[in-house]
Amino acid sequence: MNTFFKNTLKIALALVIVFTAASFMSDVIDISGLSVEHLKADKPMFGTAEYAYDPGQADTPEKTLASKVNWTILIFVILMVLVLANAMDISKYTAKITGRETVNQTNVNKWMMLIFLILGFIGVIWEYIYHGKFILMNNSSSEHGVDYDSMFSITLILTSIVFFMTQFLLFMFSFMYAHKEGKKALYYAHNNRLELLWTFIPAVVLTILVLRGHQTWKSVVYAEENHKGKINSVEVFAYQFGWKARYAGEDGIMGMSDYKFISGTNELGLAVKSEVDMLLEELKLQIIADEETVKNLNTTILDGLMADFAAADGVKNYKSMESIQKKIDAVKNGDRLSDLKESIERKKKQIERILAIQNDEKIFASTFTPAAIDDIIAQEIHIAKDSLVTFNFRSKDIIHSAWLPHFRAQMNVVPGMPTKFTFRPTKSTAEAKAENDEEFDYYLYCNKICGVSHYNMKIKVVVESQAEVDAWLKTQSSPFMKKTEVVPAIMNDSLQMTNDTLKRVALR
Amino acid sequence: MSTATIDSHKVDHHGDAHGHHHKETFITKYIFSTDHKMISKQYLITGIIMGCLGMFMSMLFRLQLAWPDESVPFLETLLGKWAQGGKIDPNYYMALVTIHGTIMVFYVLTAGLSGTFSNLLIPLQVGARDMASPFMNMLSYWFFFLSSVVLLSSFAVETGPASSGWTVYPPLSALSKAMPGSGAGTTLWLVAIILFIVSALLGGINYITTVLNMRTKGMSMNRLPLTIWAFFLTAVLGLLSFPVLLGAGLLLIFDRSFGTSFYLSDIHLNGVGALTNSGGSPVLYQHLFWFLGHPEVYIILMPALGISSEVISTNARKPIFGYTAMIISLIGISFLSFIVWGHHMFITGMNPFLGTMFMYVTLIIAVPSAVKTFNYLATLWKGNIRFTPAMLFAIGLVSFFISGGLTGIYLGNAALDIQLHDSYFVVAHFHLVMGSAAIFGMFAGIYHWFPKMFGRMMNKTLGSMHFWLTFISAYLVFFPMHFMGLAGVPRRYYQFSLIPEFGIWMDVNVLITVSAWLGGLAQILFLYNFFYSIFKGPIASTNPWESNTLEWSTKLKHIHGNWEGDIPTVYRGPHEYSRPDRELDYFPQYEKGNGEPEHYHGPVTAVDNSYEGKKEKASTVFFSSFAYLFSMKRA
Ligand code: HEM
Ligand SMILES: [Cu+2]
Ligand SMILES: [Cu+2]
Repeated sequence: MNTFFKNTLKIALALVIVFTAASFMSDVIDISGLSVEHLKADKPMFGTAEYAYDPGQADTPEKTLASKVNWTILIFVILMVLVLANAMDISKYTAKITGRETVNQTNVNKWMMLIFLILGFIGVIWEYIYHGKFILMNNSSSEHGVDYDSMFSITLILTSIVFFMTQFLLFMFSFMYAHKEGKKALYYAHNNRLELLWTFIPAVVLTILVLRGHQTWKSVVYAEENHKGKINSVEVFAYQFGWKARYAGEDGIMGMSDYKFISGTNELGLAVKSEVDMLLEELKLQIIADEETVKNLNTTILDGLMADFAAADGVKNYKSMESIQKKIDAVKNGDRLSDLKESIERKKKQIERILAIQNDEKIFASTFTPAAIDDIIAQEIHIAKDSLVTFNFRSKDIIHSAWLPHFRAQMNVVPGMPTKFTFRPTKSTAEAKAENDEEFDYYLYCNKICGVSHYNMKIKVVVESQAEVDAWLKTQSSPFMKKTEVVPAIMNDSLQMTNDTLKRVALR
Repeated sequence: MSTATIDSHKVDHHGDAHGHHHKETFITKYIFSTDHKMISKQYLITGIIMGCLGMFMSMLFRLQLAWPDESVPFLETLLGKWAQGGKIDPNYYMALVTIHGTIMVFYVLTAGLSGTFSNLLIPLQVGARDMASPFMNMLSYWFFFLSSVVLLSSFAVETGPASSGWTVYPPLSALSKAMPGSGAGTTLWLVAIILFIVSALLGGINYITTVLNMRTKGMSMNRLPLTIWAFFLTAVLGLLSFPVLLGAGLLLIFDRSFGTSFYLSDIHLNGVGALTNSGGSPVLYQHLFWFLGHPEVYIILMPALGISSEVISTNARKPIFGYTAMIISLIGISFLSFIVWGHHMFITGMNPFLGTMFMYVTLIIAVPSAVKTFNYLATLWKGNIRFTPAMLFAIGLVSFFISGGLTGIYLGNAALDIQLHDSYFVVAHFHLVMGSAAIFGMFAGIYHWFPKMFGRMMNKTLGSMHFWLTFISAYLVFFPMHFMGLAGVPRRYYQFSLIPEFGIWMDVNVLITVSAWLGGLAQILFLYNFFYSIFKGPIASTNPWESNTLEWSTKLKHIHGNWEGDIPTVYRGPHEYSRPDRELDYFPQYEKGNGEPEHYHGPVTAVDNSYEGKKEKASTVFFSSFAYLFSMKRA
């Protein structure tokens, strides 16, 4: 009793010290000095001050609390090291490591178990309360999301109960049954009834969860099939690194598309005859240019590179010397040649396959319908509140994943395999802004690693009334309606390449 | 039993034979050694080195996440062109994450963990002179070593190491123009993994054969320590699933280098144009990968569970609770782990009906896992716990196993996974249940069997400190990640500061990074303790933990063939601790008793006086702790 009391007092005292120190530090000290010394110290490490990212949150009480708690944790860890070092009499050990125990390790560890249990639970509960506020729960912006959220809450409650119970027992047992001289443990090898009990209870609980999950899952994945009426649809097109939305134009029909039709001016590869013809011409020109290059590879081109190298050498521009040397090497060891040959093959094949479509009457007729011509291509996704919408996903290159966290919706976007996701948005952007703040917007994020800019690949999603969506659609471009309009700046690498090759050929 | 007897005789003879030609050179003893104990040490040291590298990589890229807009000049010194201006290049960030994941999963927790302890313990604990095929065993290590070298050499490649994630999904990994790391770096990654698979298969065949055929007299399957059961089932899992990864890898190599289209179709790549590939399916790769990938997480976890069973039983001085149930759970987990791979693919666009099926089987796996957890708790109950460092780590493992296992219930639920897939919630989940739990199992094993491996003791104090620091920092690193994921933060993002919505997580990111560095630095305690003790630690006694299992019956000094005389006979199960009918609180398997029964079935004499006379019922286990809390009888 006595020792327990004393130890409780000690813990309480330590806690008081930690919290006082933390609140003092978080008010007074900017910790940026503690970070790597050379860091530009314009941002605090744990902040009460404003973040550029998040001006709205700056000096709210929660922010200060967060900062205090972060401080608490940091100080706590440091304190823990000191206490441990002290308790275990580390100085003696660093002088000479021997096997002797100079302190009673059992006691230290036993009490650490209890302390960890208590502080751990406080920490977990604090996380639930403080960070729990940010998690997406009970605020879904889609119909199935409500169901999802309740499913999630049930799981959260059940697992939390088990979590607290089992962790409690684990650390309590460790604390209670620590080694004592002369004590003998209980020989207790098994108890079938007990084991059945804890096989049976999890099994029942999991059955409930799985049946419930099955319901939710079915309602989500079969939403389109189960719905009789009209469903709005948007094609969501993913590429390295961005998204495009395509809507059917006036005619209400989405045109056909094919990755082989993609060109600088036809980023989504729509089946528009004039565009595809242009692409064919372009490809033929490129082949000619490439063949030209192959012919001159070991003569003019190599000489040119040599001359470039000499020039760079003259001004001692090592960087460009290095890159030119690489090109020279590629020519000499045949890499360049095989690249070119492969590129020619590829383009020939592409022409062949496009022609195969064009030359087969049936396929031609079903592909090159007028439907594609008035399709609208947009940089934002606008969808109507309260009506079912299907996102049809298509990828240009790599697997991406379209994640709409606020709608509890996600689907991979796979090249060569159309995927889709159907849901009913129930909260307009305006409503969501009112709930959160003015800055708030829905986004669709890429959630499957897809290359260097994966982290910066998102598109805004706007939920508004059907009338507003229609009005917005009017302002968007149908690139193939008025031929004079826009050559989009992005994604025209291939065009760029063509121009370069043409220029090079022209130069010779 | 008869086969075992015959075999052990045969092996006896083999052991004698070794006695004669005793001329060992440095090379045969330390490098191309065929002795399982030496190979085990080789695995361990290689694993530790790889572990340090993997951990250091995570510490580096955590800097980027915590201070995305700052410059950290030492990064430029360290990484050169990949961190110009002290900021890690996004391509290199992905490479670090990828290699970190690969190293941790395969090199540390598959080879480092299984390789070390299966090699050390299987012959010693079943009573065999060596592995079934020592030569193959040696090859296994050297393939692993070669594989490590190849993997690390990809850092020397101009375009950087593989960077499409440890899962290396095509098309990203298949097209060298899709990402710099998908060039030569990925080729090396694939070669390394193929070498690795060869190593795993050579090892696995050996482990299985040895366990099945080379047990000593009396060592029936139901007297095997749980470690051996775990290593055995792990080897079976590996043997059945690694070949599938080999296939997946070979097809990927074909796609990359020979123009086939197993995984590729309808691709138009920036800067290249429309590719000719058609008819392949990237989802096929995912099926193949996860057919290994899911068993792989159990390949990682099960040895750790086996080790902790042994360590907990020994140090709680109690029989492991429900020995048979533990084995059945392991078998159940092994079997089920082959049919749940699709839970990694709920939202790949595969048929939703398949998703349903995978959800059902996945949640069934939670049942044996729950049984194991409760059995651990029951083993601790009314024990006489010795807090050796190994025991501390084993308790930590149970804690992580609970925390991480519970979040598996969310992710296994197809409906919930729609939202949680590839979010930070997943990162939190697998780091707790697979990463931290298995690493703690490995530490438990190292601290526990260090005396067996090196004949000396590690320092307990440093061990305890190492445990507490690592334990606390691991929770600080991974627990907050749950909330980030639930709030909608995707994983594998290089930088969050471009996305204003994620601003609220900036200080959490700092906290995580600081904790990761603390945890990383805490490993110095371990490294110091480990290497110092190898040479200067106090000499161990033969059976320092007063353990029951066979390995402690061997002499301290390692000899070829393990036992000088005959291999001891086994008389009982491995966990006969604290039997009331004995003076000592342990009863080695190899000690011939005076006609005592194998298990003690006599009247339960409560040793713990606070519960005198009460019979052990289910409710007692649960309520005694509460009772204790409120009455505080023992303080
Ligand atoms: C030193 C402690 C560790 C820290 C601080 C750490 C941190 C991280 C972080 C921040 C990521 C990136 C998450 C993302 O953006 O997707 C990651 C990825 C990963 N980590 Fe760890 N980790 C640690 C230890 C481990 C261990 C012990 C394992 C063993 C299983 C592990 C396995 C992985 C895997 C498989 C990935 C995924 C790689 C990928 O996305 O391809 N890590 N780690
Ligand atoms: Cu993407
Ligand atoms: Cu899995």
